[in-house]
Amino acid sequence: MDYIIRIIPQMGLGALESLKIFSVVIVLSLPLGMILALGRISGFSFIKKFIATYVWVLRGSPLMLQMLFVYFALPSIGILFEDFTAAIIAFVLNYAAYFCEIFRGGIQAIPKGQYEAAHALGMNYWQTLRRIILPQVFRIVLPPISNETITLVKDTSLVYVLAMNDLMRTTRNLVQRDFSVVPFLVAAIFYLGATLLLTILFERLEKYYAKSSAN
Amino acid sequence: MKKIEARNLVKNFGKLQVLKDISLTVDEGEVIAIIGPSGSGKSTLLRCLNKLEEIDRGTIIIDGKTLVQDTGTGVQYANDVEQREIVCRMGMVFQQFNLFPHMTVLQNLTEAPVQVQKRNIDEVTQEAKELLRKVGLIEKQDVYPLKLSGGQQQRVAIARALCMKPDIMLFDEPTSALDPELTSEVLQTMRNLAKEKMTMVVVTHEMTFAKEVANRIIFMADGIIQAEGTPEEVFGNIQNERLKNFLRAIEK
Ligand SMILES: Nc1ncnc2c1ncn2[C@@H]1O[C@H](COP(=O)(O)OP(=O)(O)OP(=O)(O)O)[C@@H](O)[C@H]1O
Ligand SMILES: [Mg+2]
Repeated sequence: MDYIIRIIPQMGLGALESLKIFSVVIVLSLPLGMILALGRISGFSFIKKFIATYVWVLRGSPLMLQMLFVYFALPSIGILFEDFTAAIIAFVLNYAAYFCEIFRGGIQAIPKGQYEAAHALGMNYWQTLRRIILPQVFRIVLPPISNETITLVKDTSLVYVLAMNDLMRTTRNLVQRDFSVVPFLVAAIFYLGATLLLTILFERLEKYYAKSSAN
Repeated sequence: MKKIEARNLVKNFGKLQVLKDISLTVDEGEVIAIIGPSGSGKSTLLRCLNKLEEIDRGTIIIDGKTLVQDTGTGVQYANDVEQREIVCRMGMVFQQFNLFPHMTVLQNLTEAPVQVQKRNIDEVTQEAKELLRKVGLIEKQDVYPLKLSGGQQQRVAIARALCMKPDIMLFDEPTSALDPELTSEVLQTMRNLAKEKMTMVVVTHEMTFAKEVANRIIFMADGIIQAEGTPEEVFGNIQNERLKNFLRAIEK
């Protein structure tokens, strides 16, 4: 028990670093995913094809590979990033691709009649999108977004390959230093705590949005 | 005073010509019923009037304002802002209601008047409640649409359209998606509107309603107006073969 209390501050710092990555990635990749989705369903065939290719590449290859690419390969052509920045760029680009597909599915699930009703009431494109379409899309995409978000919590551990002092790396260092597996358990509790919080948050949101459903 | 003036409308879907040189004028306070077999272009005609579909040739003037003008080789639509202003002079009621499911009944009514017409929300709310009272649904104002029956949803949809204070109401088979026992409440709402001298264009399969409420019946088939006149003229002495067949078919 004493040992756990002793390692908590250090592990807390690691967890904080992981939380930082998580937050920045969520805040940036969700809007980017939304913009990509709007582009993907727009009338511009060049943009559509470009985004489709983007999504294919980013979803079709490992996030780890993408991260190492940003960190090690780009510097060779003169683009250099710090650890944190490199990780963030790779994560945001990758997660935006997933969110793009989720939002696209959500937008396409909205019946044509909703657009027609908005048109008949004189609403313009942005009013229709903001007031009619997106609120309904949010409800539809909540479960898959919840899934991705929980995956992201766990994916943040990948940054340990970049020698960042996130929760995973801190844990490993402690295990190797102290010849104890207790840090593993503490790390598991940190990750589980975070995913539990997110699960509850998303359940609340889903319940809130469910009030307008048919039954 | 002419509320709708549509001249020589042509509409193609690819190679299929759905409207073939259709002309239609509607005077203030008139109730027009459009009848005809499935696929004859009734919905398309209605949808062209508020630009849910774009016409290929022809001119549409709504309440004196030109929505689209024939240029001799094609058509020229008014600019976006003008278009929207013209379009929201017409209320549209759809077969599938198309209420906004994420908003309460009251919000469905107030949304466009506040967002589009920039009217004062308190004022609009008062008017919306008045309209809900009229269609008999005031006690449902805070309910979400999907919790209502089809007939109730359609009455909300009518109230939503009326909340924009339109000059004209367009109805595309407003009772076709309803169970038979729910159609009468919607038809009653429409009858009341007609009594208040609302200008209405109604695509319908309800022949009794058409005969009773419409000042003028338009029978369409194959993208052409085949017969047109008062209910007595159209149904009294049926000359048109197509109309004869159509009426015989729906009586069954
Ligand atoms: N968006 C579209 N694209 C291609 N063809 C269409 C489209 N909308 C309608 N059509 C075709 O145009 C024709 C007329 O359709 P419309 O919906 O106007 O008929 P309607 O008279 O309203 O029929 P109903 O009584 O079944 O509602 C039909 O052949 C239909 O298949
Ligand atoms: Mg139709």
